[in-house]
Amino acid sequence: MDSTYRHMGMHNMVKHLSKVTALLSVFLFVSLVTKGQDTSATAEVIVEQPAEGPAEDPNGISADPAIIASGKTIFENNCYQCHRVHKQWTGPALKDVYDRQSIPWLISFIKNSQKVIQSGDEYAVNLYNEYSKTVMPNHTFLKDADIMSILAYIKAESANVPVEDTTTTTSGDGNQVAQTQDSPYLTVIFGFLIVVLVLMVIVLGITITLLTKYLKGKQDLDEADKELVEQKLDIQGIFKSTTFMAFVIFIVVALGAKTAIDSLFLVGVQQGYAPSQPIAFSHKIHAGQYEIDCNYCHTGVTKSKNANIPSANICMNCHTSVKTESSEIKKIYAALDYNPETKEYGSKQKPIEWVRVHNLPDLAYFNHSQHVKVAGIECQTCHGPIEEMDVVRQHSKLTMGWCINCHRETEVNTKGNAYYDKLMEVHQKHSKEPMKVEDIGGLECSKCHY
Amino acid sequence: MKIQGIQSFILLLVICSGVVLTGCKSEGNNPGREYAPQMYHSVPYESLSQIKDEAAGTWLSNREDEKGEFYNSNPNNPHKMNMREPVEGTVARTSNGYLPYRIHKDSLAWAAKYLKNPLPNNEAILADGKSLYLKFCSACHGEKGKADGKVSEVFMGVAAYDKGQVKTATEGHIYHVITHGKGLMGSHASQLNIEERWKIVRYVQTLQK
Repeated sequence: MDSTYRHMGMHNMVKHLSKVTALLSVFLFVSLVTKGQDTSATAEVIVEQPAEGPAEDPNGISADPAIIASGKTIFENNCYQCHRVHKQWTGPALKDVYDRQSIPWLISFIKNSQKVIQSGDEYAVNLYNEYSKTVMPNHTFLKDADIMSILAYIKAESANVPVEDTTTTTSGDGNQVAQTQDSPYLTVIFGFLIVVLVLMVIVLGITITLLTKYLKGKQDLDEADKELVEQKLDIQGIFKSTTFMAFVIFIVVALGAKTAIDSLFLVGVQQGYAPSQPIAFSHKIHAGQYEIDCNYCHTGVTKSKNANIPSANICMNCHTSVKTESSEIKKIYAALDYNPETKEYGSKQKPIEWVRVHNLPDLAYFNHSQHVKVAGIECQTCHGPIEEMDVVRQHSKLTMGWCINCHRETEVNTKGNAYYDKLMEVHQKHSKEPMKVEDIGGLECSKCHY
Repeated sequence: MKIQGIQSFILLLVICSGVVLTGCKSEGNNPGREYAPQMYHSVPYESLSQIKDEAAGTWLSNREDEKGEFYNSNPNNPHKMNMREPVEGTVARTSNGYLPYRIHKDSLAWAAKYLKNPLPNNEAILADGKSLYLKFCSACHGEKGKADGKVSEVFMGVAAYDKGQVKTATEGHIYHVITHGKGLMGSHASQLNIEERWKIVRYVQTLQK
């Protein structure tokens, strides 16, 4: 074989090997990254229902499936709101309730609980106090037979292991749990692959060095080969050159100037302002997790200029019974002078001093109801993903340019609004474009500044 | 290339101003610098932005009472609040002439029997009622009134409209419960005016079926 030809082949080989090494490194990196995201098959939980044996009951509670079925309907219609069989709800868990008190006692309590409590029955009074004096409504419309079928249903359910409960509590994050559980095989395979890839990169590196050395040893190298072998950088020379110095100074000054100009534009713009509040209220929990509509608390948003900060009585719609032990909720109780034991409000009430997040300058007028009620704009359009914020942050710039831009781009929501009929008529006479806010005076100075 | 004294001074100034001005940016608890503070802060009492610090903005103040320019609190109100509640017994004037609902919380049975919805049963009212229902009720009672709203996971004892006694509740009953609350449910009278409550009643009646 001709020697030059062979050398050319060697030259190409070095090139190819370098490419392969680079590719392998990339693959190694990608595989490491994707491993974290990999999901394994979701684990399925199969729980067997324990078989139920028909047994004679000392209380005379039936085990007849028909009675149990009718009891189930009555239970779901009248009891389920406040009672569960295995879980404490508004009232106590009803599992084995017939073992706690006699059947006649249960019937009289279900029909008129207050009567039993007022008769001074010790068990009933204790129960009443334990459940912070929540009154169980009367169920005088239930017949004794109805109550017996409810008890039959409860007895049948009591025997069941609370499968339902475990599934409901984990259903929310079940997928996430499954995702984090990688099968051990996958880890081993990935580990092995990574070791192999690392070894390949090392071997290829060594090969390249060896081949370059071999090429150096040869006398009859052509131009291309020489270039490849004698790659060296004159680093000191580069650093000392005027071009380099000028370049560095230019970059630094340009960056400084850019930061200065950018910062000047941010004077008076409070975008990103996220003050901490006296009570750590989280929109992420209320609006995100529990999907409570913004309007539920911000009652002014469809009616007035301001969306309004909810008064504490709106908090108390839920927090008389939700999270009553939380230290943050206790701050609401303190502000309202509310006693969670007696459920009474005192006279020493004081305002909660929330910190205002959106401070629109006094020189500009803005009206929420016009934008939310009339235009039908979503809260998130201006306020951003509020439902994901633990601490509310000002999302938009709230600058004049920001307002004006939207007024130029947004079509007027004229649908079903007779107020705009005449304006629409006039607009269509001289324009075929859709009617934008700017067409009806949305850019007039005095709309917002007066 | 030599850099002269003036040139280097200018260069340094540009870089420094960049560094200094970044401090004007708002972040976390810092609202940032204001461009024309006297035009930003309200002179009249502003109900939703109260500044209690008497020294706030003293540096540019020309107030006669020698307090800070930004001080904005009404010393005559309890807690120096700018907001005030209406005088007790105030009756809001409404375009439809509704009078305040004065039936006592305990008179649910009376309300259930005698109260009638002043609003007609038509599409428009139902549509309004639905929109209000989805904002003010569905978080607990669920979109279809089956007590399966997200909040019902933590707020126990939410009533389903098509079950038990609630299924046959009259319009007066529903209205009274929205106004005063019942059991664990609180009063929604501060969030919904009389007309809105009656609109919701119309819609809730469709969910009882």
